[in-house]
Amino acid sequence: MKLAIFDLDNWREIGATLSRNKTRTFLTAFGIFWGTAMLAMLHGGAVGLAGTMTRNFEGFATNMAAVIPDQTSISYKGFNKGMYWSMTTDDVERTCRMSRAIDLKSPIIGRYGNIAYGSKYTSGNVNGVTSDYWRIQEVKLYAGRVLNESDDRRKAKNVMIGKNVSDELFGSDPSAAIGKFVNVNGMYCLCVGVAGQKADASINGRVDDSAFIPLSTMQLAYNTGNKVDFLIFTAKDGYKPKDVVPDLRRAVCSAHPIHPDDEKAFWVMDVSEMFEMVGNMFTGIDLLALFVGAGTLMAGIIGVGNIMWIIVRERTREIGIRRAIGAKPRDVIVQILSESSVLTVVAGTAGITFAAVVLYVADMITSEPGLSAAGFQLSFTAAVVILVLFLVLGTAAGLIPSLKAMRIKPVEAMREK
Amino acid sequence: MIIQLTDINKTYPGAVPLHVLKDINLGIEKGELCSIMGASGSGKSTLLNILGILDTYDSGEYVLDGTLIRDLSENRAAELRNRLIGFVFQSFNLIGYKNALENVALPLFYRGIGRRKRNAMAMEQLERMGLADRAHHLPGELSGGQKQRVAIARALITQPSIILADEPTGALDSHTSREVMRVFRDLNDEGMTIVIVTHDPKVGDQTNRVIRISDGRIENGDENA
Repeated sequence: MKLAIFDLDNWREIGATLSRNKTRTFLTAFGIFWGTAMLAMLHGGAVGLAGTMTRNFEGFATNMAAVIPDQTSISYKGFNKGMYWSMTTDDVERTCRMSRAIDLKSPIIGRYGNIAYGSKYTSGNVNGVTSDYWRIQEVKLYAGRVLNESDDRRKAKNVMIGKNVSDELFGSDPSAAIGKFVNVNGMYCLCVGVAGQKADASINGRVDDSAFIPLSTMQLAYNTGNKVDFLIFTAKDGYKPKDVVPDLRRAVCSAHPIHPDDEKAFWVMDVSEMFEMVGNMFTGIDLLALFVGAGTLMAGIIGVGNIMWIIVRERTREIGIRRAIGAKPRDVIVQILSESSVLTVVAGTAGITFAAVVLYVADMITSEPGLSAAGFQLSFTAAVVILVLFLVLGTAAGLIPSLKAMRIKPVEAMREK
Repeated sequence: MIIQLTDINKTYPGAVPLHVLKDINLGIEKGELCSIMGASGSGKSTLLNILGILDTYDSGEYVLDGTLIRDLSENRAAELRNRLIGFVFQSFNLIGYKNALENVALPLFYRGIGRRKRNAMAMEQLERMGLADRAHHLPGELSGGQKQRVAIARALITQPSIILADEPTGALDSHTSREVMRVFRDLNDEGMTIVIVTHDPKVGDQTNRVIRISDGRIENGDENA
């Protein structure tokens, strides 16, 4: 038995049926087209928005927090409220001893100053950091290396400069900076690396526009003793940064005249919470996309079902004739379903293609030099899933009318005018 | 006998059940050209529908070409219609968006015969009906007589055991009616069994046997024999 699907006449017949009422077919096809396009664009758009946000934090440890000292808000041990205090490396070490949740940490001292080489100079942030800093915020290394533990331990006069600083002082070739002595706010340091940031987000100024020296060197050069400006740290797996805060509070309060209940003595910027919030937001966007997409999908499918009802109604007599000359019920079902399936596949493919083009344009518009693409795109799997979903639902929508057509008795159908 | 009806009864259910066929006994020999005549509402169309396996009967027995026609599934009924019966209708019942060749070839499509072969066979039938030059015309581009000849070609293409024609000249003028009846007679001369339902005595006169039906009963079964 030859399958109707392989018969050219069957396909010509489907084409003829669909093209007989072009306006109606176009409008139905447009419903499916728009349904698939909307679903695909919403899905790709949600992925792209999430990608844009992820791109901004690329290289950033997502379980990171920053602790910044502030004025006290409670008078304590003879000190008035409103007192300024400074965090020290001892506070950090004490916290590390007390808390099992803390993983990487980098106390930071930041100053704004001049960075010069020969007669060329520029200005930017000069940050004193520990070697953990480069694991908390990954950077894009253009030449040389990042500062390491040995630099910090030896209080080495080494500097890693940002890409823009390197461009200003040494031209476009970053490797030209390596091995040169750079004047960092009056202190000559050996340039060991040139780096830029991977994402938009940064800590205490853009990496590209800054210079980095070991924290110990910074403390010595600026005579800050063991004081630091602020601390960044990450939590170990299974912990959140906020798990560190109680131990940090105890460590700080035990060494400074700060009331244990003083919530405002330092503030914690928990990046992990921001990520969580953003994650929740994108879950919401995904749900919204799903809801709107499902709505447009249903509208398209109802359109297909509706048109198939009309087609069956219009062709009742023809179905009767076909039954009289030997069409089996299955033949009638296959014929009607073929028409709804072809309409769905053609219009659905067009919709997905349209969505892919729109997403491609969106991806191009939002792309930024030096950053990875946002990802406004439709994966092949997602496209196939959407198309198969439409095909299944479109076929299901055509199934009810085709079952009705199957039940038509030939003798009654042929009486239809 | 190619057709043997024994005590066939048919009642349409309703508030007032309508007993349209009453104890019909009828035998038709292979190669006969016969007509079933009767007034409107006499039951002749119901009889034709039962003969064509388009409708069922309540009691009795119907044997078509050695096959008992009773309690058939829709698939089996469709298969038997395709294999044993060729239909010719008053209003031609051609599919409007298919050309003459495709209309004639359609029964072979449901038999699973490939496109090339069925088109060749359809062209043969159209040539036989003198319509080879109209093969690629749509029904709307054909005259009434041509349409009916296309319908006859479609009925013949499966080489059925019997042709059942329901008022085949009802929509045609007298000249075209004669043409169509000549085709039927020629086919009958070649050995084809043909049963025509008509209320036109001129058509009945051209058949070898007239079966008169009145109020659901066969009055006589051997006129013109």
